[in-house]
Amino acid sequence: MPITPDHAGKTYAPTAPYEVTRVKIVELAAALGERAAYDVLFPVAPPTFGAVVASPAWDALFTDPELGLQLSRIVHADQQFRYHSPLQPGDVVTATLRIDKVRVRGAVEIISTSVEVHDEADDHVLTATSTFVHTRKVPA
Amino acid sequence: MTEQHVEVGMTLPTLTARITRETLVRYAGASGDLNPIHYSDHAAAALGLPGVVAHGMLTMGTAVRAVTEWFGSAELVSYGVRFTRPVVVPDDGVGAELEVTATITAIGDEGVTFTLDATCAGEKVLGAAKVVVGAGEP
Repeated sequence: MPITPDHAGKTYAPTAPYEVTRVKIVELAAALGERAAYDVLFPVAPPTFGAVVASPAWDALFTDPELGLQLSRIVHADQQFRYHSPLQPGDVVTATLRIDKVRVRGAVEIISTSVEVHDEADDHVLTATSTFVHTRKVPA
Repeated sequence: MTEQHVEVGMTLPTLTARITRETLVRYAGASGDLNPIHYSDHAAAALGLPGVVAHGMLTMGTAVRAVTEWFGSAELVSYGVRFTRPVVVPDDGVGAELEVTATITAIGDEGVTFTLDATCAGEKVLGAAKVVVGAGEP
Protein backbone atom coordinates (compact mmCIF):
# COMPACT_ATOMS: atom_id res chain seq x y z
CA MET A 1 0.00 0.00 0.00
CA PRO A 2 1.61 3.28 -1.03
CA ILE A 3 1.94 6.50 0.92
CA THR A 4 -0.85 9.01 0.26
CA PRO A 5 -1.59 12.64 1.23
CA ASP A 6 -3.91 11.18 3.88
CA HIS A 7 -0.86 10.04 5.85
CA ALA A 8 -0.24 13.67 6.85
CA GLY A 9 -0.66 13.90 10.60
CA LYS A 10 0.56 10.39 11.31
CA THR A 11 2.82 10.47 14.36
CA TYR A 12 5.20 7.72 15.43
CA ALA A 13 6.00 6.59 18.96
CA PRO A 14 9.08 8.25 20.48
CA THR A 15 12.32 6.41 19.73
CA ALA A 16 14.11 4.47 22.46
CA PRO A 17 16.18 6.81 24.68
CA TYR A 18 19.51 7.62 23.00
CA GLU A 19 22.54 8.62 25.04
CA VAL A 20 24.86 11.13 23.40
CA THR A 21 28.47 10.12 24.06
CA ARG A 22 31.77 11.90 23.55
CA VAL A 23 33.00 8.96 21.46
CA LYS A 24 30.08 9.28 19.03
CA ILE A 25 30.49 13.06 18.84
CA VAL A 26 34.17 12.66 17.97
CA GLU A 27 33.33 9.92 15.43
CA LEU A 28 30.80 12.12 13.63
CA ALA A 29 33.04 15.20 13.86
CA ALA A 30 35.88 13.19 12.28
CA ALA A 31 33.57 11.96 9.51
CA LEU A 32 32.71 15.60 8.80
CA GLY A 33 36.38 16.54 8.66
CA GLU A 34 36.39 18.57 11.83
CA ARG A 35 39.74 19.12 13.48
CA ALA A 36 40.39 16.83 16.42
CA ALA A 37 41.09 19.69 18.79
CA TYR A 38 37.70 21.16 18.07
CA ASP A 39 35.85 18.81 20.39
CA VAL A 40 38.16 19.71 23.24
CA LEU A 41 37.58 23.41 22.75
CA PHE A 42 33.84 23.16 22.25
CA PRO A 43 32.58 19.97 23.92
CA VAL A 44 29.21 19.97 22.14
CA ALA A 45 27.99 17.91 19.22
CA PRO A 46 28.33 19.18 15.63
CA PRO A 47 25.15 20.93 14.38
CA THR A 48 24.14 17.98 12.22
CA PHE A 49 24.45 15.49 15.09
CA GLY A 50 20.68 16.01 15.18
CA ALA A 51 20.58 13.65 12.19
CA VAL A 52 22.14 10.86 14.28
CA VAL A 53 19.46 11.34 16.92
CA ALA A 54 16.67 11.65 14.33
CA SER A 55 17.90 8.67 12.32
CA PRO A 56 15.96 5.93 14.21
CA ALA A 57 12.81 8.04 13.76
CA TRP A 58 13.52 8.41 10.03
CA ASP A 59 14.18 4.66 9.82
CA ALA A 60 10.77 3.96 11.38
CA LEU A 61 9.22 6.06 8.61
CA PHE A 62 11.26 4.46 5.83
CA THR A 63 10.42 0.94 7.00
CA ASP A 64 6.74 1.54 7.86
CA PRO A 65 4.97 -1.24 5.91
CA GLU A 66 1.92 0.98 5.55
CA LEU A 67 3.86 3.43 3.36
CA GLY A 68 5.68 1.03 1.04
CA LEU A 69 8.90 3.08 0.91
CA GLN A 70 12.27 1.75 -0.23
CA LEU A 71 15.39 3.32 1.30
CA SER A 72 17.44 3.04 -1.89
CA ARG A 73 14.83 5.14 -3.72
CA ILE A 74 14.82 8.04 -1.25
CA VAL A 75 16.79 11.27 -1.55
CA HIS A 76 16.94 14.14 0.90
CA ALA A 77 15.55 17.36 -0.61
CA ASP A 78 15.90 19.77 2.27
CA GLN A 79 16.77 19.83 5.95
CA GLN A 80 16.28 22.37 8.69
CA PHE A 81 17.34 22.24 12.34
CA ARG A 82 16.09 24.60 15.03
CA TYR A 83 18.12 24.33 18.20
CA HIS A 84 16.96 24.98 21.71
CA SER A 85 20.14 23.73 23.31
CA PRO A 86 23.26 22.02 21.91
CA LEU A 87 23.56 18.25 22.30
CA GLN A 88 26.29 17.32 24.78
CA PRO A 89 27.82 14.11 26.12
CA GLY A 90 25.50 12.55 28.69
CA ASP A 91 22.29 13.90 27.16
CA VAL A 92 19.62 11.20 26.87
CA VAL A 93 17.07 12.07 24.21
CA THR A 94 14.12 10.69 22.30
CA ALA A 95 12.92 11.62 18.82
CA THR A 96 9.26 11.79 17.78
CA LEU A 97 8.41 11.96 14.09
CA ARG A 98 5.29 13.39 12.53
CA ILE A 99 4.40 13.30 8.84
CA ASP A 100 3.49 16.90 8.06
CA LYS A 101 2.60 16.67 4.38
CA VAL A 102 2.65 14.21 1.49
CA ARG A 103 2.47 15.20 -2.16
CA VAL A 104 2.26 12.59 -4.91
CA ARG A 105 3.22 13.43 -8.50
CA GLY A 106 3.04 10.25 -10.54
CA ALA A 107 5.78 7.94 -9.27
CA VAL A 108 7.31 10.69 -7.12
CA GLU A 109 6.28 11.04 -3.49
CA ILE A 110 7.36 14.15 -1.62
CA ILE A 111 7.26 13.61 2.15
CA SER A 112 7.63 16.44 4.66
CA THR A 113 8.33 15.43 8.25
CA SER A 114 9.29 17.00 11.53
CA VAL A 115 11.15 15.29 14.34
CA GLU A 116 10.95 16.75 17.83
CA VAL A 117 13.84 15.84 20.10
CA HIS A 118 13.35 16.01 23.86
CA ASP A 119 15.61 15.23 26.78
CA GLU A 120 14.85 13.10 29.86
CA ALA A 121 13.19 16.05 31.60
CA ASP A 122 10.97 16.37 28.50
CA ASP A 123 12.64 19.70 27.68
CA HIS A 124 12.79 20.52 23.99
CA VAL A 125 16.28 20.11 22.52
CA LEU A 126 15.80 20.58 18.79
CA THR A 127 13.42 20.21 15.88
CA ALA A 128 14.57 18.58 12.63
CA THR A 129 12.34 19.36 9.65
CA SER A 130 12.97 17.40 6.46
CA THR A 131 11.69 16.83 2.97
CA PHE A 132 12.36 13.41 1.45
CA VAL A 133 11.66 12.47 -2.15
CA HIS A 134 10.78 8.84 -2.79
CA THR A 135 10.62 7.69 -6.41
CA ARG A 136 8.42 4.65 -6.63
CA LYS A 137 9.69 1.89 -8.87
CA VAL A 138 7.40 1.66 -11.89
CA PRO A 139 7.06 -1.89 -13.25
CA ALA A 140 8.58 -2.15 -16.73
CA MET B 1 29.57 35.89 19.53
CA THR B 2 29.32 39.19 21.38
CA GLU B 3 33.08 39.50 21.65
CA GLN B 4 33.69 39.59 17.90
CA HIS B 5 33.01 42.56 15.71
CA VAL B 6 30.61 41.50 12.97
CA GLU B 7 28.71 43.37 10.28
CA VAL B 8 26.49 42.57 7.31
CA GLY B 9 28.54 41.78 4.23
CA MET B 10 31.45 40.30 6.20
CA THR B 11 32.73 37.09 4.61
CA LEU B 12 34.56 34.31 6.41
CA PRO B 13 37.53 32.51 4.82
CA THR B 14 36.45 29.93 2.24
CA LEU B 15 36.34 26.35 3.51
CA THR B 16 37.59 23.68 1.13
CA ALA B 17 36.80 20.02 1.80
CA ARG B 18 37.52 16.98 -0.30
CA ILE B 19 34.90 14.24 -0.35
CA THR B 20 36.05 10.83 -1.56
CA ARG B 21 34.49 7.35 -1.42
CA GLU B 22 36.42 6.91 1.84
CA THR B 23 34.65 9.98 3.24
CA LEU B 24 31.30 8.42 2.29
CA VAL B 25 32.14 5.11 3.97
CA ARG B 26 33.26 6.90 7.11
CA TYR B 27 30.13 9.07 7.17
CA ALA B 28 27.81 6.13 6.53
CA GLY B 29 29.29 4.32 9.53
CA ALA B 30 29.29 7.35 11.82
CA SER B 31 25.77 8.48 10.96
CA GLY B 32 24.07 5.12 10.41
CA ASP B 33 22.78 6.28 7.00
CA LEU B 34 23.25 3.11 4.96
CA ASN B 35 21.31 4.16 1.86
CA PRO B 36 23.16 2.30 -0.94
CA ILE B 37 23.03 5.30 -3.32
CA HIS B 38 25.95 6.56 -1.21
CA TYR B 39 28.21 3.58 -1.94
CA SER B 40 26.76 1.52 -4.80
CA ASP B 41 27.00 2.63 -8.44
CA HIS B 42 24.26 0.11 -9.22
CA ALA B 43 21.82 1.60 -6.69
CA ALA B 44 22.66 5.15 -7.79
CA ALA B 45 22.04 4.28 -11.45
CA ALA B 46 18.74 2.59 -10.59
CA LEU B 47 17.53 5.92 -9.22
CA GLY B 48 18.73 7.80 -12.31
CA LEU B 49 21.65 9.47 -10.52
CA PRO B 50 24.85 10.16 -12.50
CA GLY B 51 26.85 8.14 -9.97
CA VAL B 52 27.33 7.54 -6.26
CA VAL B 53 26.39 10.75 -4.43
CA ALA B 54 27.38 12.17 -1.07
CA HIS B 55 24.87 11.99 1.78
CA GLY B 56 23.00 15.29 1.94
CA MET B 57 23.72 15.34 5.65
CA LEU B 58 27.46 14.93 4.95
CA THR B 59 27.43 17.94 2.62
CA MET B 60 25.32 19.89 5.13
CA GLY B 61 27.51 18.92 8.08
CA THR B 62 30.72 19.74 6.23
CA ALA B 63 29.46 23.07 4.87
CA VAL B 64 28.54 24.44 8.30
CA ARG B 65 32.19 24.18 9.35
CA ALA B 66 32.68 27.40 7.35
CA VAL B 67 30.91 29.05 10.31
CA THR B 68 31.50 26.72 13.27
CA GLU B 69 35.28 26.64 12.87
CA TRP B 70 35.16 30.34 13.80
CA PHE B 71 32.17 30.60 16.10
CA GLY B 72 31.68 27.10 17.52
CA SER B 73 28.46 25.06 17.52
CA ALA B 74 27.14 25.83 21.01
CA GLU B 75 25.21 28.97 20.13
CA LEU B 76 23.50 27.89 16.92
CA VAL B 77 19.85 28.92 16.72
CA SER B 78 19.05 27.28 13.40
CA TYR B 79 20.62 25.78 10.30
CA GLY B 80 18.77 24.88 7.14
CA VAL B 81 19.61 23.95 3.55
CA ARG B 82 18.02 22.72 0.35
CA PHE B 83 19.92 20.04 -1.54
CA THR B 84 19.72 21.61 -5.00
CA ARG B 85 22.20 19.39 -6.84
CA PRO B 86 23.71 16.04 -5.86
CA VAL B 87 27.42 15.94 -5.03
CA VAL B 88 28.65 13.14 -7.27
CA VAL B 89 31.67 11.33 -5.81
CA PRO B 90 33.53 9.31 -8.46
CA ASP B 91 35.69 6.35 -7.44
CA ASP B 92 38.83 7.84 -9.00
CA GLY B 93 40.93 8.57 -5.93
CA VAL B 94 40.16 12.27 -6.33
CA GLY B 95 36.47 12.52 -5.47
CA ALA B 96 34.74 15.88 -5.24
CA GLU B 97 35.83 19.18 -3.79
CA LEU B 98 33.34 21.23 -1.81
CA GLU B 99 33.96 24.99 -1.49
CA VAL B 100 31.95 26.94 1.05
CA THR B 101 31.92 30.65 1.73
CA ALA B 102 29.85 32.11 4.57
CA THR B 103 28.67 35.71 4.37
CA ILE B 104 26.78 37.63 7.05
CA THR B 105 23.46 38.61 5.49
CA ALA B 106 21.52 39.79 8.55
CA ILE B 107 22.01 40.75 12.18
CA GLY B 108 18.86 40.72 14.27
CA ASP B 109 17.29 39.83 17.60
CA GLU B 110 17.78 36.09 17.01
CA GLY B 111 21.45 36.49 16.20
CA VAL B 112 23.72 36.72 13.20
CA THR B 113 22.60 35.07 9.94
CA PHE B 114 25.27 33.60 7.72
CA THR B 115 24.31 32.59 4.18
CA LEU B 116 26.43 29.76 2.80
CA ASP B 117 27.54 29.61 -0.81
CA ALA B 118 28.46 25.95 -1.37
CA THR B 119 29.76 24.78 -4.72
CA CYS B 120 31.24 21.67 -6.26
CA ALA B 121 33.14 22.05 -9.57
CA GLY B 122 31.62 25.53 -9.86
CA GLU B 123 28.02 24.32 -9.46
CA LYS B 124 25.89 25.37 -6.50
CA VAL B 125 24.99 22.30 -4.41
CA LEU B 126 23.07 23.94 -1.55
CA GLY B 127 20.22 26.45 -1.78
CA ALA B 128 18.78 28.72 0.89
CA ALA B 129 21.63 27.63 3.17
CA LYS B 130 21.42 29.75 6.29
CA VAL B 131 23.05 29.44 9.70
CA VAL B 132 21.87 31.62 12.58
CA VAL B 133 24.31 32.03 15.46
CA GLY B 134 22.83 33.47 18.64
CA ALA B 135 24.38 36.00 20.94
CA GLY B 136 24.83 33.40 23.69
CA GLU B 137 24.27 33.86 27.43
CA PRO B 138 24.56 37.45 28.63
